[in-house]
Amino acid sequence: MAKLIGNAPNQVPTNADLGSMAFEDRTNYITKGASVHQPYRNIIINGDMSIAQRGTSFSGINSGSTNFGVDRFNFEVSSLGAWTISQDTDVPTGQGFAKSLKLDCTTADASPGANDLAVLTHNIEGQNLQYLKKGTANAESVTASFWVKSNKTGTYIAELKDVDNNRTINKSYTINSSNTWEKKTIIYDGDTTGTLDNDNGKSFQLNLWLGGGSGWTSGTLQTSWGSSTQANRQVGQVNLADSTSNYINITGVQLEAGTTASDFEFLPVDVNLQRCQRYYQVLADGSQQTLSMIGLGFYYSAVLMIMAIQYYTEMRATPSLDNVSGTNYYRIFANGTNDYFDDFFLTSTNTTNKVCDLRNESDISGATGNIGFVRTENAASFVAFDAEL
Amino acid sequence: MIETVTKKYDSIDNTFCSYRVTYVNSNRVKSVPLDPANTDYQAIQEWIAEGNTVIDNPPQENN
Repeated sequence: MAKLIGNAPNQVPTNADLGSMAFEDRTNYITKGASVHQPYRNIIINGDMSIAQRGTSFSGINSGSTNFGVDRFNFEVSSLGAWTISQDTDVPTGQGFAKSLKLDCTTADASPGANDLAVLTHNIEGQNLQYLKKGTANAESVTASFWVKSNKTGTYIAELKDVDNNRTINKSYTINSSNTWEKKTIIYDGDTTGTLDNDNGKSFQLNLWLGGGSGWTSGTLQTSWGSSTQANRQVGQVNLADSTSNYINITGVQLEAGTTASDFEFLPVDVNLQRCQRYYQVLADGSQQTLSMIGLGFYYSAVLMIMAIQYYTEMRATPSLDNVSGTNYYRIFANGTNDYFDDFFLTSTNTTNKVCDLRNESDISGATGNIGFVRTENAASFVAFDAEL
Repeated sequence: MIETVTKKYDSIDNTFCSYRVTYVNSNRVKSVPLDPANTDYQAIQEWIAEGNTVIDNPPQENN
């Protein structure tokens, strides 16, 4: 066996001392910097579609830009059919996924107006993307990968958009076989123009287009980074809204630096949930528990009840209160008496991205200074905070 | 889709403290802070820019 020390106390072993130990086969060693093993390499949050805090199915979606079938994936539709969006259990076999996002066309529109659109969007904060070095000579390429299944074969468009500088790059992919899970990988060049803001605002988007009118399709597909031109963004895109038979399932969405699609990065559910809660978090949901506890409240006056709330995790920005309103949907139990009320509001003065106060003053009647439990009172009661991009 | 936007006043000091937003065909309401980084606040500003009117019933002064 080779010596493990040098020939004198102040010497290190030589290769000759180490013999064959100096020439171990490192073929299968992990290489420092290899993207396949870098944690949090996936820019996308909730890419496995496992978190759905707002609910798991929403029907009749025909307008708006804030439709979330699962967390962080925003379905925007404008006058292009009606849809049911849902968290689904149809997943590619043997890939480790348990959930997908399903977009199901329930009202068809085979002749869209020029500016009609349907798109699945993932918005990203600029401060999370500084390492892409966008807008410099060292701008990183980015690779998108995802699993997709649809009855409607043909060409689809996957777009990256730099919101800060209104620049886009658009690549096509093909769904080859109907009703079959397929993995798609798309490589985008780095963009040497336009730096991303280093803040908590919406700087970057992955847009998976599902259809659009001639205003989106009449140009030439912009396959290199450039100023965003509407007519060049969906060229060749099939219209998924042209039949009520149409649907698409998507899961395993990953966006990462480099030109290689690594295996999907699965995160523990607690980590995934907490990352989603930066953008949206549910405080109480009456459908999950009868008389769901919200917290402690007190009577500031006979007609004003205030609760102090600390969020589960710091939010991206000062959130809105997202609240279902209904007659006697909530109650405070104080000094042996139930006092019912319909909803809450918050005040800017006492609301930050860490804490807020919730108030009611339209229905409350109690004794100043009394403290009590605040609970939901109806299965439809719902209290959440929304700081989405 | 936004149906109504109402200015909410803090009853403690009578200051304009948030917007109350209702939506078409929904019993969902939002209480929106006056923060330009909040996307609901941004949506309200766009809604106003489209020509819609915010309901404003400021509290009466107690003299």
